[in-house]
Amino acid sequence: MMQVATDPMHQFLVTRWLHLDVAGVDISFTNSAFFMVLGVLLIIGFFAWALARPETVPSRKQSLAEIWYGFVAGIVKDVNHADGKPFVPLVFTIFSFIFVANILGMLPNAFTSTSHIVVTGTMAVFTFLLVVVIGVWKNGFKFLKVFVPSGVPWYILWFVVIIEVFSFLSRPLSLGMRLFANMLGGHVALKVFAGFVPQLIVGLGFVGGLMAALLVMPLVIGVTALELLVAFLQAYVFAILTCVYLNDALHPGGH
Amino acid sequence: MEQEHVEQAVDAHAAGEHVSSGFPPFNQIDTFPSQIFWLVVTFGLLYLVSTYWLIPKVSKAIADRDNAIAKDVADAAALSAKADASVKAFEARIAEARARARETAGKAKSEADKKIAAETAKVEADLAARLTAAETRIADVRTKAMANVSTVAEDTAGAIAEKLSGLKADPGAVKKAVAEVMRG
Repeated sequence: MMQVATDPMHQFLVTRWLHLDVAGVDISFTNSAFFMVLGVLLIIGFFAWALARPETVPSRKQSLAEIWYGFVAGIVKDVNHADGKPFVPLVFTIFSFIFVANILGMLPNAFTSTSHIVVTGTMAVFTFLLVVVIGVWKNGFKFLKVFVPSGVPWYILWFVVIIEVFSFLSRPLSLGMRLFANMLGGHVALKVFAGFVPQLIVGLGFVGGLMAALLVMPLVIGVTALELLVAFLQAYVFAILTCVYLNDALHPGGH
Repeated sequence: MEQEHVEQAVDAHAAGEHVSSGFPPFNQIDTFPSQIFWLVVTFGLLYLVSTYWLIPKVSKAIADRDNAIAKDVADAAALSAKADASVKAFEARIAEARARARETAGKAKSEADKKIAAETAKVEADLAARLTAAETRIADVRTKAMANVSTVAEDTAGAIAEKLSGLKADPGAVKKAVAEVMRG
């Protein structure tokens, strides 16, 4: 009997590869951990390789590394201007980490670390707390101005402040949820569509199924292309939102 | 019939292997500490390596290129300025040489003119002197000739008178008559 694995959630199962227990906390090395480690090593390895011998006229790999860095530095410069300089490494790390994790997740049988809410949520909460800490540290009490937009008449200001507080508090949720849901949803869709192909072949017999599968396959290719775009786009969105939120920390009430 | 079979197989497959599957992102709470731990480790590692190694390296490569380009542009500008200065200096020297040439030519011409004028004056003075001398001599000769003329006339008149009349004419009367005729 032909085995047809069509459970679209199977790919999100975290499996322990190496049981580790430190002070009663389970920090087992899992497939999720493996792909995070792999991603980080790939990034470091790529940059080390691309910039082993930097040249004035860059090679392709050096160009790619410079474009990668320049892209992130450009986001920070556009959003935070000169104040953002200290945050370039952070935004670079966020973008690169998410982007490579998303792309690695596109490989068949790979695990997408960013498809778990606990990972994206931790990053989102970290970003949120960083914004609060930097905001209070740089502005003190004036950081509360972030809830009070300038130029609003007093009689609706109280209402706007309530909205602003809720919008501020919902940031980590939306930030973490957006990335997680995109990766999860995309991979589920991909798996479901791709699962049609073997299902059709088995279900409709070889010839009929093959004909139907040929119709489905372009759709799978299209979704794959879309997922590659989403993999990049979600990393970009996370990075740019981090910049926007950091801008609030640096200039509260400036929006 | 076959369809049913497959569905059964799929169900069996799902039931047999992925009982705990469900919705892994939410129901694998026991793996959360591990996921957070490895996220912090890998993210922290990437952050540190980026901050202290990768980004300085990339920034340096970019800055080096920018500096190299800026230096090349500055060098080119300097060379261009130098070339302009050379052209200007060259033109100035040509103008100077031309001016000097003109000056030299002018001086030569004026000297030549002076020399010509002096020579001409000298020659003219000489000619004038010679002319004056010649005129004096002509006048002298003429006076002398005129004196000879009256003597000849007197002699001729005396001889004519003697031949015609046979008488010896008084020289004083002849002289007086000749002088009277010549004056008239």
